[in-house]
Amino acid sequence: MQSLFAWLLLLATAVAASDYHEQLTLRPLPLSSLLASFDFRSNTSFSDYESQNFRLFPRSLAQILQHAGTRELHLRFTLGRWDAENWGARPWDGTKEGGTGVEMWALVDAGSDEEADQKWLTLTNTLSGLFCASLNFIDETRTIRPVKSFQPEGHHTEAALAHSRLLHGVLPHEVVCTENLTPFLKMLPCKGKAGIASLLDGHKLFDASFQSMAIDVRPICAEGQECVLEIEETIDMVLDINRSKRPKGNPIPRPVKADELVCDQSKPYHSEDTCFPVDHLASPDWQLDQVFGRPMKGTCPLADATVPSVCIQVPDKRHVFTSEGSVQHKGADGQSRCYTMDENNDFTLFLARPDNPGEGLEVVEPETPLLYAERSLTGYGQEKGGVQAILTNPGNEDVEFVYLESLPWFMRIYLHTLATHISPNTTTAVDFSTPSSDIIKEIYYRPALDRVRGTQLELLLKIPAKHTVFLTYDVEKTILRYTEYPPDANRGFDVAASVITTLSPRVMNLRTTSLLLYLPTPDFSMPYNVIIFTSTAIALAFGGLYNIIVRRFVGADEGEQSPLKAKLAKLKEMIAAKLGKKSAAPEEKTAVEAL
Amino acid sequence: MSATARGYCATSDPWVVSNFALATRIDKGKPSFTNHTMSAAPSEKLPDGGAKKAIKLPPTEKSGDVRRRSFIVLSFWAVVVMLGLPFWWYTTSIYRANLPLDRMLEWADGKACQPVLPITVAFEAEGLAAPDAQELVRLTQGMLDQQSDLAAHQIRLQPGNTDDAALTLQFTPGKQMGATLDSREASLKINYPSGTTVSNPSDAAALATYLAQELRAAFAEERAIISHLLNQPLQNQSPETIEALSKRTTRSMRYASTYHLTFSLFTDGPSPSTWDIEEAVDRYMRPMLDILRPIHNFTVDTQLQLYATPGVQSQVLSKEDLSSFINAAEWPLSPSIGGAPTVNFVLFVGNQTIGNAGSDATSQSWMIPQWGTVYLLPLSDSTAHVDSEILRQPMLTFGGHLLTLLGTPQSGSLPLRLSTLTRIRSLDLLLHASSTLGSLARLSISLPSISIPRTVADGVAASLDHLEKACANLGGPEGLYHARIAESEAEKSFFEKSMVGQLYFPDEHKIAVYLPLLGPVGVPLVLGLIKELKGWKQRRKDAKETKDKKKQ
Repeated sequence: MQSLFAWLLLLATAVAASDYHEQLTLRPLPLSSLLASFDFRSNTSFSDYESQNFRLFPRSLAQILQHAGTRELHLRFTLGRWDAENWGARPWDGTKEGGTGVEMWALVDAGSDEEADQKWLTLTNTLSGLFCASLNFIDETRTIRPVKSFQPEGHHTEAALAHSRLLHGVLPHEVVCTENLTPFLKMLPCKGKAGIASLLDGHKLFDASFQSMAIDVRPICAEGQECVLEIEETIDMVLDINRSKRPKGNPIPRPVKADELVCDQSKPYHSEDTCFPVDHLASPDWQLDQVFGRPMKGTCPLADATVPSVCIQVPDKRHVFTSEGSVQHKGADGQSRCYTMDENNDFTLFLARPDNPGEGLEVVEPETPLLYAERSLTGYGQEKGGVQAILTNPGNEDVEFVYLESLPWFMRIYLHTLATHISPNTTTAVDFSTPSSDIIKEIYYRPALDRVRGTQLELLLKIPAKHTVFLTYDVEKTILRYTEYPPDANRGFDVAASVITTLSPRVMNLRTTSLLLYLPTPDFSMPYNVIIFTSTAIALAFGGLYNIIVRRFVGADEGEQSPLKAKLAKLKEMIAAKLGKKSAAPEEKTAVEAL
Repeated sequence: MSATARGYCATSDPWVVSNFALATRIDKGKPSFTNHTMSAAPSEKLPDGGAKKAIKLPPTEKSGDVRRRSFIVLSFWAVVVMLGLPFWWYTTSIYRANLPLDRMLEWADGKACQPVLPITVAFEAEGLAAPDAQELVRLTQGMLDQQSDLAAHQIRLQPGNTDDAALTLQFTPGKQMGATLDSREASLKINYPSGTTVSNPSDAAALATYLAQELRAAFAEERAIISHLLNQPLQNQSPETIEALSKRTTRSMRYASTYHLTFSLFTDGPSPSTWDIEEAVDRYMRPMLDILRPIHNFTVDTQLQLYATPGVQSQVLSKEDLSSFINAAEWPLSPSIGGAPTVNFVLFVGNQTIGNAGSDATSQSWMIPQWGTVYLLPLSDSTAHVDSEILRQPMLTFGGHLLTLLGTPQSGSLPLRLSTLTRIRSLDLLLHASSTLGSLARLSISLPSISIPRTVADGVAASLDHLEKACANLGGPEGLYHARIAESEAEKSFFEKSMVGQLYFPDEHKIAVYLPLLGPVGVPLVLGLIKELKGWKQRRKDAKETKDKKKQ
């Protein structure tokens, strides 16, 4: 697996001279999932970029980059969670994915921090229009300047690096959807009309268990050649094959017919009428146009013809059938094969069911990642809480990495409570004897300022082989101002994923899931209640005081009969007269009348 | 204690359930029995429930008490009026900077400035003696002034060669009268019969008449455009001319100092995928852009888009189809960023044709007002590369359309057209800025609740200042410069963001905020005041009566 990506990377550098190439890599994963990685890479020479002649590079994006003085741009739209326990290491070593929502970082050309902020603001605002995303909500409070985690990836001169700033912003609340895919496709030279991009359909993409869209723009300078500006667009998606295979017009899952059921016959209760279905465990058969909902329409004529358009990573034992006119190239490792195809004909691919299910050679064994990471909120109540990150190193080598937290300002962190505990594995008792300083090598901390900026916490950690580290710290939740709550305040506030960048044994990226922080939420009719309540209190006090001061008090019998009272008495008397005509004494009546 | 119980029985007024158990209200200070006192009152009342209850009147209040009560009521009101109201006013009032509304409206109505566009015409008469030339200038100028039907448009002759002349008259003796406009330079070549002498009055008059007529003809289009801008129709203008003039206005883009020119090649299929656009732009567009540089700056960008489906698929495009041909949803023709407007030049490779070609469209291209141009280029399917020779015709079409989109007049040599453009643009900007100021003034009058920040007032002041300078220097580059600033300042003031923020605050909310407090507090205050006023009136009346009685 590792070697294959390395091979792909090598291939990528080899074809850097060519202007455009695209490739789709399919990899069946355990539990009937399928990882599809789309990679589109095009470049333009700097002279063309500066004179604004665009052929393969999208003009709309280039204009924005020039307007905002951006040297390098990385943009991520991610949805769902990568299930590392089952699916193994991440595609592209995690470098092409972001935290849930939208994440972006850019190297902007600026001599001072103020200038950088200004350009960053322009950049986020214009990109927000281009990608139909709320990128303009990445304001100062969501922007950080990473010190250790993110580094410029392209080739820059020393002078250029000295005169630029790297900014990073994240929007965990953003829901990635079809409207973000459309501008993405528009930027490809062949749109979604030909080549592997014709497989991309919003319905399937956003129905996936995990999907990540990435755009990277960076300058690449090969020795002895003119520098080029490279734009790489990638889409990774994990499809649930059984779900994707459901026909479009009939998407409701229905029970499988009895004779089609695959049962685990080793179960003691297995019989004619009882069955433990193992359908989801086996690697099912599938066809390309079936899981993507549409066939692949030839190849993009602009793409480099020497790079095969479609690759599939399955053991050589499994049978793959493709449409006519395609040529198969087998990889040297025996676990991959690629296909070149006819430019104008539709292409499809069929992966047959494994011959002997259960032998363990159905899919390429997922690679164990360097680290597993999960993070959760601890504590109870609306005032205080804590965060715990569990970082596991399953390998046989020590892993050194940078752990980056970009926390919102309303989540106040108590840095003195930052603590680590180590244990040989997750189940056994935690070892408290190892001091934190053995694990945390360096801390970079930039405290939050209310409503101005968020917390930036970067930790350099080292985990020994086969060990788990529990990283904990306490936080305090802030009560926000009335107008600062979003319309769905009771849903909670998203806290961005923490980013893990391993430094040794090799560089790769990892992100935890984002958190949902529940803040104390007021009753939103409160202002009017307060107004009415205080007004009533004031009015009561005032009315009483005023009346006592201003009114004259006299004896009860000296006052004038109030007209209402007289009328009431009359009415009372009339009723009494009617009811008790016979019994009522006449003199009594006259007595009342005299009143 | 027993008094309390009795008092409670006697009255049901809730306000009185207090230490003052026997209290009730007295509305009027009635003259009554002075022998009664408060302390005597309870002893009079017996718990026998006697049927014959005597109506008692409370003792007369001391005049000191009455006065004290009046002072109390007045001091409450003094606090409300002198402290409460100003505080309320201060905390809820909206800042409205003073705008010179009258002057703004004057500008909008065209009363503040009578625009005059002087056009200097140099009089280069090498073959004529100086006094003769001056005499001829005087005569022609008189003739021109006499014929002038538009005050704003004034042709001024000037002997000798001047730099800022819009047009130069060049005299050459020839066989007969004749005049030709140079096609490259801004000059008018006049031939006159060699025998003509200016000292002869009839010859001079004939020549002057001829000159005046030719000059008026040379500037006829400009005069028409200016009259249309000023909304002062000239005499004997045909409806077609007026229609053409309004068409010019709707077609041309709004003035901007910089325009982005975007050249895009769209194709339905996978080819062609390269084009020599850089070379074509350098060869066919650049010279024209260089000439336009004093008035506008241009940036050029190009793009190539494959697999772009047009909005209309039919083979023959009818006139109605042209407006929906641009597939705005899919084609990446996003408006440019950074303030400058974009002029789009779209080259569509496809074999569609335009049927029913009207006057607006040639057989291959059409112009979209204030947006750009589309050119249909039929190419064979196998063409993978579009070279600059193929791009020649489209580029020339784009060039012509660019001039129209910029609002350049149609006739005359290019330098002459551009100097005309300068004058038209200055006037246009001046009028536009004035009308924007007028709109702002009307807006601030009609919406009393809109806030007007200081920046708006400053912008308006700057705009008015530059407008005056522009009005004084109309016709030259300085006028254009000032008009440009005036216009941008006026626009900035009009579209000030913070003015809109407070505009909508519904009245229901105000009621919800004010009523709970002002209702319960205001009612006793107002009632107390009314009662006090009534009592005061009554006392005055009584005092008068007693006075009258005493007199009697």
